[in-house]
Amino acid sequence: METHCALLWTWNTPVHMMVNLKKSIRLLKRLCSSAADNIPQNQEPRVELSLRGLLDMGFTDTQAEHIYDTVGKSRGESTAKHTLSTLSALIVLGLNPSSVLKLLEKCPELYSIKEAQLQQRIANLRKLGLVEGSLQRVVAHHPQILTMKVKKINSTVMFLKEKCLFTSQQVTDILRDSPTIIQEDMAQIQYKFQYVYFRMGVKQAEMVKSRLFRFTLDEVRNRHCFLERRGLFETPDKKGQTTIVNPKLGSILNVDQDMFVTQVAKATLEEYDVFQRLIAREYQEEEHLTDFDSISDDDEAVEEEDRNKGKMGYMKRKKKLPHET
Amino acid sequence: MALLMETKLILRKVKDLRCFTAKRNRVKEKWAATRPKYPPTRLALQHMDAVYGAQLGSLWPSVRVALLCERKYGALVNTHSHHDVISELQHHGCADFITSTALQESVQVEGESQSDLRTTSDVSPGLNANIKCFVFPQGDISRFKPARPDANGLLGYYLMDAASVLPCLALDVREGHTVLDLCAAPGGKALAFMQTHGLGFVCLNDSSVSRTMRLRRVLHSYIPKALLSDHRLRISSFDGTMWGQIERGTFDRVLVDVPCTTDRHSVTEEDNNIFSKSRVGERRRLPQLQTELLLAGLEAVCPGGEVLYSTCTLSQQQNQAVVEQAEQLALERHGIQIQVVSLKPLTRNFTNTFHFAPELSVGELVLPHLAANFGPIYMCKLKRLT
Repeated sequence: METHCALLWTWNTPVHMMVNLKKSIRLLKRLCSSAADNIPQNQEPRVELSLRGLLDMGFTDTQAEHIYDTVGKSRGESTAKHTLSTLSALIVLGLNPSSVLKLLEKCPELYSIKEAQLQQRIANLRKLGLVEGSLQRVVAHHPQILTMKVKKINSTVMFLKEKCLFTSQQVTDILRDSPTIIQEDMAQIQYKFQYVYFRMGVKQAEMVKSRLFRFTLDEVRNRHCFLERRGLFETPDKKGQTTIVNPKLGSILNVDQDMFVTQVAKATLEEYDVFQRLIAREYQEEEHLTDFDSISDDDEAVEEEDRNKGKMGYMKRKKKLPHET
Repeated sequence: MALLMETKLILRKVKDLRCFTAKRNRVKEKWAATRPKYPPTRLALQHMDAVYGAQLGSLWPSVRVALLCERKYGALVNTHSHHDVISELQHHGCADFITSTALQESVQVEGESQSDLRTTSDVSPGLNANIKCFVFPQGDISRFKPARPDANGLLGYYLMDAASVLPCLALDVREGHTVLDLCAAPGGKALAFMQTHGLGFVCLNDSSVSRTMRLRRVLHSYIPKALLSDHRLRISSFDGTMWGQIERGTFDRVLVDVPCTTDRHSVTEEDNNIFSKSRVGERRRLPQLQTELLLAGLEAVCPGGEVLYSTCTLSQQQNQAVVEQAEQLALERHGIQIQVVSLKPLTRNFTNTFHFAPELSVGELVLPHLAANFGPIYMCKLKRLT
């Protein structure tokens, strides 16, 4: 039982955590394998998840039971093995047992990650600048980050550095504040970046500060277009100048919709509601039209009258004459 | 030597009419590969930000965003068609904004007739029961399907800006009236007031021949041939400003829907845009042209008759200023006395459908608003007293 006490002591003192990492895991395995004494002869002795082992890690009775049941229900023996290492790794990271449970509920895929992979991924995140404190916070809020392959994360990071010209520190900040970015596909990230950089004239530092990558492209585009069409946001010219003072990206995105509409855009909620629907339709049709371009047009005279007669009524609006009543 | 030769002997051979055609109407041989740096829509917006920002103040941003978004249409019902379009439109959720308010009005009047000292002249002029215009409810952005022809080949409804129907309602055309429309093309407003049955004579004019052709086509699609005969209808392509010299004091009602900077078109379409650099002179002369057209209308209408001036711009310079100038000139040049007729009784009925600009010196202005994206339409009614 001394080892048992030593183990408990280890969990509670972070300073010794890193040093005793491997030792702890070995101890744990031994603990759990002691339960294997009870297994029948015809089964191979192997590391098994046991309730007592879980309790020793610091989980409460109910928590331990929950984990045991979940693992038991799912994919079988290999899951049990991985679960053990995953749990211990998470606890070693510094997360308390209830956080770990929440994590697992949020992201059940964690149950089936191999130990080596997990360690590799955690090490990679550390290398990217997510040190103690930030690392725990990111994992706690977005456990999916541990299910992403190192290659994927690194290619995203490379993209942000090389194509979008963010500094390493900025990339770390992005990963910390907006971890969902790793799940977005590259084209989407690029489009969003280019929209904000060119169309809105906002530079990298402000993008990071405003936590741009937390928001979807539609949210950014809708809010920006609303302001632009109201005359409250202007795309800077070649020299980066505007005739009005553009509101900061943070003040546009980091407020809830009501606040944005009433305080920043100085409009009514009804207006914004109609606007969002109109602009969604505009984008849909823009995409549609680029497919339609290949269809040849009839002569113009027929088109003008089509507005009242033909099938393409609204699509051919572009060719109207003035003084339309 | 060459310098001593008389210049009239040096003739430049005119090969074709290219040098006489306005630049914008010429066929281009070479097309630009990039867009112009300052497209006309951008120039238009800059101009409007400056002018309307000052004119409308805090209302301008809402109007601006509405101008830049898709406009809302209304379906003007063609009473000459045999289609039962009304039930079809109602089925889609539309309502006739004119009759629904007329119903409200009559209910109100009945309720108040005892307690109120209202005389019949205070009640809005009998809303022309024949003009019906269906719109989707406020905030609904659904679109209308194109109209289908009935057994006689006439279309069931005409899609137009619902606010454009207001000048036709205000014109208050009655049975037996002779009506003149000085700038009729493409014909939406003409179609609206021609829904009134039993008109005496209708005269539609537009200065452009091509647009007059279009007007004819529209009329043929909506109005039965019998009503388009020569003793009921005349379509002409004269210069409207000359009307005072052609026919004086002959019409009961005159509609003067002048060419203007068509704000909505100017900020969204690049083609045919009056803010393009080649048309600066034309645009600057607009208020003068508009005043002359209104004057011609005032000369053409008979004493006791009414003229309705309308534009589709927000600009004070093209709206109130033109009316005031025409009023003055009519008195000075022709001794014509005019009285402005307030359209408040009419517009009061439609405050649930349209957004009207508050307190104008003369006339009424419909402002575009995202939930009711109609307009801009300005209208002013003038009654000729002498």
